[in-house]
Amino acid sequence: MKFSVFQLSRRGGRQKNEDRMGYSYTRESALFVLADGMGGHPKGEVAAQIAIQTVSSMFQRQARPALKNVPEFLSAALLGAHHQLLRYSNERAMLDTPRTTLVVAVVQDGCAHWIHCGDSRLYLVRDAELLMRTRDHSYQELRNGVAPGLERVNRNVLFTCLGSPTKPLFDVAGPVLLEQGDRLLLCSDGLWGTLDDDTIADELGNKTVSQAVPQLVESALRKAGDSSDNVTVVAMEWETPNGFAPSNLRVTTDSINEEVFASTIQAGSLEGFVEEPDDMDDEAIERSIAEINDAIKRTAARKP
Amino acid sequence: MSKIKPAPLPPDTVIGGYRVVHKLAAGGFGVVYLAKDAEGQQVAIKEYLPASLATRTAGELLPQVQPEKLSLYRLGLKSFFEEGRSLAQISHASVVSVLNFFRENETVYMVMNHLEGASLQDFIITARELKTEKVFRESTIRSLFDEVLRGLRIVHQHKMLHLDIKPANIFITDDNRAVMIDFGAAREVLSKESNFIRPMYTPGFAAPEMYRRDAQMGPWTDIYAIGACIYACMQGFPPAEAPQRQEKDRLTLALNKLRGIYSDNLIEVVEWCMALDPLSRPQSVFALQKELSREGERRYTKLSVSEKMRMQLDSLITDNKKGAPKIADTTRAGSRAK
Repeated sequence: MKFSVFQLSRRGGRQKNEDRMGYSYTRESALFVLADGMGGHPKGEVAAQIAIQTVSSMFQRQARPALKNVPEFLSAALLGAHHQLLRYSNERAMLDTPRTTLVVAVVQDGCAHWIHCGDSRLYLVRDAELLMRTRDHSYQELRNGVAPGLERVNRNVLFTCLGSPTKPLFDVAGPVLLEQGDRLLLCSDGLWGTLDDDTIADELGNKTVSQAVPQLVESALRKAGDSSDNVTVVAMEWETPNGFAPSNLRVTTDSINEEVFASTIQAGSLEGFVEEPDDMDDEAIERSIAEINDAIKRTAARKP
Repeated sequence: MSKIKPAPLPPDTVIGGYRVVHKLAAGGFGVVYLAKDAEGQQVAIKEYLPASLATRTAGELLPQVQPEKLSLYRLGLKSFFEEGRSLAQISHASVVSVLNFFRENETVYMVMNHLEGASLQDFIITARELKTEKVFRESTIRSLFDEVLRGLRIVHQHKMLHLDIKPANIFITDDNRAVMIDFGAAREVLSKESNFIRPMYTPGFAAPEMYRRDAQMGPWTDIYAIGACIYACMQGFPPAEAPQRQEKDRLTLALNKLRGIYSDNLIEVVEWCMALDPLSRPQSVFALQKELSREGERRYTKLSVSEKMRMQLDSLITDNKKGAPKIADTTRAGSRAK
């Protein structure tokens, strides 16, 4: 696997930066993750951090070196992060839970899959054109769709996020077979709230990610001025196995050992609770019961 | 979220060839029934039905699990199996034994020996009412816990912790055996998702590390609870909660009042087991057994008059500070945390 990656997060006119981002990879799988902690609720930056740490630690445990099932991993990781947030606030008896958006992409076997909840976005750019992007879970995006009666809405109002008492809504997408030079970009609303989709696609498609990302972030901050939201972007450029390398910030995973796990995300003290994929199917239940009954018989036979 | 407990199966329901007589108890993990097998032999059946994850309307057999709770429900099921698997390997007079395990009504059931008798908690309350100087005789305490520890040692050998040892979970059978019950290993895993399951520990008997999430639990955690049970057998009341002790520890003071009534050695054993620092406790049941079964003349330290005076003053001052001792809190020697 070969790709170039660049990430950048800058504080806008806000008191703190509640955006978090990162990427991790093994020999056969790469993970990109971005979370935007929500204002109006306590500890947005903690929420974003917990979310990306949970996703990253689940990735580390399950990508050995590839994930068995990418869509299943994505939804389990998103729900795992959600549960971690509930647990965090519960342990501290907080009146309100910290909340965050989340967007996660996984590239494996030359294909991209992604999941998102809230208004942090993923853009897929091919040949300097926007190929697809995620649809925000906001009332504004609903208005852009077909729902009537939503002519005047605030773009900041989301109808789902992680950490709220109601179960998060999310969309899983993929697989999309990546082609040489395809760019995947994950960003917080600080970027797309100021720059339109065409600008993002154009800038990203015509430059290497190491040039495009800082420039996109800079122009978003400048355009929004003093009131700018925080702007956070992670972007990667895909290279097919025989592709020409345009960047020196290239990651080549082919030569790394199967055990290697690299990550920009600081491992947190999530101590063990990572929900395993649901493997207690009917067969497993029957098997467990048979094993226990065997053990009961063996123990009874040993009895004096 | 609904606080309604799932309805128990009604009497005379037949499950796995057993006929339900009535409900015996309900806990966080599910319901325990008294039932009879085909030969009319009494058994106890534990039904996996975590109140926070599943619901069942009265008269129904099948529990309902909401789709978003299904993965947790199945995670808990795994722990229920772990409990069954561990207990199935243990055959010891002091550990409740599992007879059968089966699946029905889209959940699972564990069949156990039904025990006739009363819990140690019941005995403590009865003995306490007599208002004698001693709640139990020292020899009674020593032989009772010798039995319990033999069982606990086997449990630990099977890499299992009880984590909720308390007088209510030590059963004294009518034929005079002490049996440990309620091995809710399920509790341990389920409580990891504390937004769904209340923390399950019993104040007074739960070691300080059980209140923390990052701490290492081990045999020493059960040993703390054993110390607290011995304390309850001497005082008639459970000891102060661990977090309270961490603030101001009056354990030594309370135990000093028992000097002269119980031997120095027994008092020291309790203090050793109940050390706030896990590393200062006996690290294995074996170490504790050795100390508890130590033969030899028991020494009793009588307190001098001045020491008694000082102690009385001390307790007067502290009691006044805290107001009258709350009797309601301590009438049951080990109620579950709510």
